[in-house]
This record gives sequence, structure tokens and C-alpha cells, in this order.
Amino acid sequence: MTANDSAASSEKEQKEADSSPVISSAKDGAIAGIAQYDVAIIGGGVAGYSAGMYAGRFGLKTILFAEKIGGTIMLTDEIANYPGFSMISGYDLAEKIRQHALEYGLKEVPARVAAVERKGSCFRLRSGKDGKDMVQAKTVIMATGTEWRKLDVPGEEKFTGRGVHYCALCDGAFYRDKTVAIIGGSDSAAKEALLLAQFAKKVYIIYRGEKIRPEPINERKVEAQENITVINNTHVTAIQGESKVMHVDLDTPYEGSDSLALDGVFVAIGHIALSDLAKQVGVTLNGKGEIGIDRQARTNVPGVFAAGDVADTNFKQAITGAAEGVTAAYGAYTYLNEQDIICACNDEDC
Amino acid sequence: MSVKVFSTQSCPWCHRVKDFLREHKVDFEDLDVGRDEKARNEMLEKSGQMGVPVLDINGTIIIGFDQEAITEALGL
Repeated sequence: MTANDSAASSEKEQKEADSSPVISSAKDGAIAGIAQYDVAIIGGGVAGYSAGMYAGRFGLKTILFAEKIGGTIMLTDEIANYPGFSMISGYDLAEKIRQHALEYGLKEVPARVAAVERKGSCFRLRSGKDGKDMVQAKTVIMATGTEWRKLDVPGEEKFTGRGVHYCALCDGAFYRDKTVAIIGGSDSAAKEALLLAQFAKKVYIIYRGEKIRPEPINERKVEAQENITVINNTHVTAIQGESKVMHVDLDTPYEGSDSLALDGVFVAIGHIALSDLAKQVGVTLNGKGEIGIDRQARTNVPGVFAAGDVADTNFKQAITGAAEGVTAAYGAYTYLNEQDIICACNDEDC
Repeated sequence: MSVKVFSTQSCPWCHRVKDFLREHKVDFEDLDVGRDEKARNEMLEKSGQMGVPVLDINGTIIIGFDQEAITEALGL
């Protein structure tokens, strides 16, 4: 039976799944049977929900695990580069994409996946306390995204959440009429600085390179913003303070001092791919830990696909993540159409 | 049950937390620490954090939108 043939039965199964416990939980050590899906998506960002939407359109029985529903895009204040929306907040875009996916019967589980392993032709995913909640899937789409890269200097850990931050949209309001710095020189760093400039009296952008490199439109905005000053060719070597941040140490003197007085530090030096789960099933990663994919979002492991910021694509935007998610869903659909996959193992012991 | 949400107006995870509570029909007190200094000090005292969201669920302090922890604390 092909995926085309199974569309109607999958829809029926999805309805049954929605009205009954989807994940079999271990109770008193007993496993009633492990719920099975055509597609398991790991990740609740733009790429994950886009994949979920299209998998639903293909009639595939699909489950999505989201440790944080919405993903990284939630932290972007204003999005002006997503076709169809001249301006939309990250929160609203994430929610629109999510609701669109849910319209197609996607099963959404707000939990972190602890482990993925191959079981015969299928994959077993564990979540919940002690990994006791299990599902099986014929295909897996990794849309696990990224986490913030740390500055890795003395004081960063000590003051995290108390003067060192990674999200201006979340925590910028604490710095009304204060002096803050953004560490980094990317477009994201520039956008964070512009956001902070609405609250803070003074914002420094401290960048290790010769010149910050935002998109031209944001570069012009930074230049026009009177309370932003850019300090290039400079590394922050330590974050200093007692109960709160008081200053940072610089490796190159600024205005005659190797210390810059600050109330808060926002770190925006890029992201690290969250690819540990992919690694567990033998997926090949590049030197940056990103998942290698082809034009159908296939990885080197049959049945495993990847999309979004965790994939080894150069241009990481919401729109490219959405496209990769949809492509991954198509890849899974094609893969399931080409063969009959039976998850023979349906209990905890095999 | 006493549920307090320490949040700012711009924080997206705060919106998500509050949507989650509303979806589950949980009454809560919403405190804007971006503007309310007293609430900010209360949050700092309870969590040691200057980042939001922070939840106080019957004395259990949860930092960030940790849905599993929130679900457990609320007994959902």
C-alpha cells in the first residue's frame, strides 16, 4: 500500500489518535502498545510546523514534538522579509504557521524528545519523564533549530539572567534609561541594538571584526540612531561586577580605557545547531554541527530528513526554514510512497 | 491556587505562557516588571533573575516557559 492509498486510512487513524492517548506511557511498568506515525517532526519552529502542515496535506499521520512552541522566530520583534507580510511580529507569524498546521490534524506534543533510535525500518522517539513516553514513526524530520552561542568569557555564566542576556525582545525592558552593549556584528546583532535603543539611553555594539555586517537597510538604521555607538575591532574579555554587571573588559582600549561601564550585556554572536538527536541515528553533520541535506531535505540516513536552522544551508531565514520544512514533508511523502514500511516492533522490549 | 506571571509587554515567551494558562482556564496575576518596580523587586527576590517570564505557582518558581514544569506545578 502506498502513501496515496493510505491517505484515507491515515486521516481516520489521525482522528482516532486525537480522541485517545497518543503516547503510550509506562504505568506500573506496563506498555499497552506504542503509537505509530508516518512522520515524527522534532521541533516547534517555523520549519517544524511548515513540515507538519504539508505532511497533513499529504494525508500522512503526523506528530510534532515542540519543547518550545514557536521556536526562535518568536524572539524577533518585527519581521519584514516574509513574503505576504510587509510587517509582522515573530510571535504572530509563528502562531499563524502553527494554526495552519493544526488545521490539517497535526498532533502536537509540547515536550522535549530525549532520544531517537532506529528500530527495524522505523524510529522510536522517547520523551517525558525518564523517557517513558514513546512513539514510533516511519520517518523523522529534524527541525531542532539552534541555541545561542555563548561568549565564553569570565563572568558570563555568573551574570546570565542578571545582567547578561541573549534576547533583547525578552529582557530589554529592564534597561530603560540604562547603558547596555550588544556583542556581535551580524544583522541580528544590529536588530537587537535597534530594539534596545528604544529602551536604553545608550547602546554600544561591540564587534570583533573591522565593520559590522547587517543588511544594508538595518545598517542605515543603526547609523541614524543617535544613541547607538559601534566599537569595532574589539573583543570583550570579561564581564565584571558584584551583585550585578558593572563593566566589561576590552582587549583594545576605547576612548583611552580598557574597561567600559555598562548595566547590561546582550550577546548576539550566532547560534549552535541542536543536532544531537540526529547524531544518535547516524546522521552526518558538517564542521559546524549542522545536518547535511540534499534538495529533497534528505539526510544520509534513509527516512530521516532535516529542515530549518539545524540544516547546513547558508541563508537561515523564516522563509527558507518554511520552504525546507515543506520540502522535508515532500521528501517523507515520496519516501513512504516508494516502499511499504512496517514497524514490526510494537512493544518496549524489542 | 495562586499563580503569578512576571512578564514584560514585549516578551514573546510571556505571551505564550499567558496563552497557555488561559487555554487551561488557570486564573493568574499578570505583573509587568518592565514598568512595575515593586513587582520587579519581588521577582528578583524570588528568582534571582532579571529575565522573563518567571512564574510563581503556589511558591514554586519557574524560570522561562518550561511547559513541562508548569504543567506539573499546576497538576494538569
